[in-house]
Amino acid sequence: MYDLIIRNGLVVDGEGEAGVHADVAVQDGKIAMIGAVTGETRRTIDATGRIVAPGFIDPHTHFDAQLLWDGQARPALEHGVTSVIPGNCSLSLAPLRAADRDIVVGMFQQIEEMPPEAFTKKYAKWTWEDFAGYCAAIEPGLAINVAPLVGHSVIRLWVMGADAQQRAATGAEIAAMQALLRQCLRDGAIGLSTSFVDMDAKGHPVPSRFAEFKELDALCQVLGEEGGRMLQVVPEFYDADITIARIDQLAELSLAHNIPTTFSPVFDSAATPHSAPRILARVAEQFARGARVWPQMQTRPIDISFSLLNPSLYLARLPRWVRILRQPLEQRIAALEDAETRKTMIADCGPDGGEALFGNLVVRGGDKAPAAYAGRRLGDIARERGEGAAEAVLNISREGGLDVAFLAANGGHHATDRIGPMLANPLVHIGASDGGAHLASFSTYGDTGYLFSEFVRKSGDFTLEQAVKKITADTADIWGLKDRGRLKPGLAADIVVFDADTIARLEERPVYDLPGDGMRYIRSATGVDVVVVNGAVAYADGAYTEARSGAICR
Amino acid sequence: MTTDGEVPPAPEAILMGAELAAGHDGQAEMVLRIRYPNGVVGSVLLDAAAGYALMRNCNIDSLDGLAGQSWRKILEGV
Repeated sequence: MYDLIIRNGLVVDGEGEAGVHADVAVQDGKIAMIGAVTGETRRTIDATGRIVAPGFIDPHTHFDAQLLWDGQARPALEHGVTSVIPGNCSLSLAPLRAADRDIVVGMFQQIEEMPPEAFTKKYAKWTWEDFAGYCAAIEPGLAINVAPLVGHSVIRLWVMGADAQQRAATGAEIAAMQALLRQCLRDGAIGLSTSFVDMDAKGHPVPSRFAEFKELDALCQVLGEEGGRMLQVVPEFYDADITIARIDQLAELSLAHNIPTTFSPVFDSAATPHSAPRILARVAEQFARGARVWPQMQTRPIDISFSLLNPSLYLARLPRWVRILRQPLEQRIAALEDAETRKTMIADCGPDGGEALFGNLVVRGGDKAPAAYAGRRLGDIARERGEGAAEAVLNISREGGLDVAFLAANGGHHATDRIGPMLANPLVHIGASDGGAHLASFSTYGDTGYLFSEFVRKSGDFTLEQAVKKITADTADIWGLKDRGRLKPGLAADIVVFDADTIARLEERPVYDLPGDGMRYIRSATGVDVVVVNGAVAYADGAYTEARSGAICR
Repeated sequence: MTTDGEVPPAPEAILMGAELAAGHDGQAEMVLRIRYPNGVVGSVLLDAAAGYALMRNCNIDSLDGLAGQSWRKILEGV
């Protein structure tokens, strides 16, 4: 008897070939058969008119802490993501000595914007110090698969203590790091992450930034010896020239140790239109040499957020606004209370009262914005209030003590006619979602739905089958996840059933579901009907189930 | 980097202008274009704090006033 049969769907198996109408049978967590399935089953799902595909894999997340109290990694699962890779950017929660927890927690708070309550014993039991202990702590509660990276910064901290953020390592310390990395890989780590840009809570460079090249080379030697594991890197992504130098460095490591490497993020921007093409050209040159240097590019555009509480460069072309906003907060508030000052600021914004500049902004929730305004277009709100758009920005801000944020959607990485062909480049790895990070700044969920809505249905840069392949089999191959990413008999039964005509991400919204009622921005999914993880239904008909069938991908 | 043959060489690097860009963290950033004495034009990215400091150092109230300023004004903001 089968555990589950998904009947009558269009099976898109992840290989990129045209889908076929078939049934998919599941038994003991594996795919048992694909075709015209007969026989008894404990559960049947009718997928008529739907796509049946491998579960999506998100290769760049920071769910390390969230997985301690939320094994479903909400809302990633409901978007069809069945496997996530946390531990990116040199940071993981293991190996970590008890004495060093505050240091690493500070880094997580700085980089992920995770509230401090998340790391109290109510949510983080801190039963572990080593990597095996962390995996054991999260695995029983997992509803999603986890292929964790181990962070270079915490490896350094374990071996060097406070010196990890002060100096280069000695030969003995590098040898100790090699031994520790080897143990982590054997205990469940899929690879190593490092960063050349991140800072801790005190504004100091994270430990990995103090490493000399010989240290990274020695660690990559271990990655090679342990089966060719992944090295993930955050390069100086804000500078194309330095990023290209890092690509060359990664290529040397890849070739020397026969390992895959990946770096993120790569953005396309109208302000630097040559950067991403130059980076991708260098990647192609290095692949031609035999190196594996995978650039990760996100599908979603970047939205710019600003408030008058923290001066933003978004307003840097409005002289009178600049003069007011760079005053200390108390003086700034006083200045904005003056009607004549506001009048001159509004005059800065043009004869349309700022409609062209501000009309399309969206008022964000999650702060002091009135609930009735959250998520709505500022121009519409201004008309309701009988104000111009600039006047509304000023007055709504004043009414909220300046703690009201406005969102300029599609501020960068948004030109679909440029992004689409880049994403479709076979050397570009779709990733960099940052799921579980930037919690209070923007939503990092729904990139998979956006791939289908924007680049399959709207622009046509991908066929449906190509898009599925890009975020399933391709990702599994790049990361060496041998039993995932495809619908084939014998492989793990990670399956998503979705509607090709409607799968998408919904609007961003604030929720208060973090420890201590902390706020984060999320996006829910639409068009995803069923998500199966290792044979168990983890999400169906708009609701999460009690299934805890996720596993550490070893 | 690109070269720009239309602007005469300067004795030191000068700012040619700036554009706003969307940063990785959802904040607006300033992409400065700098022309070096050898004619090469490169770019430097500044966050809000550094960008506002640069504008203060240049005694200007708008991004549009950066053109022609010395690159040394950036250092004064660091």
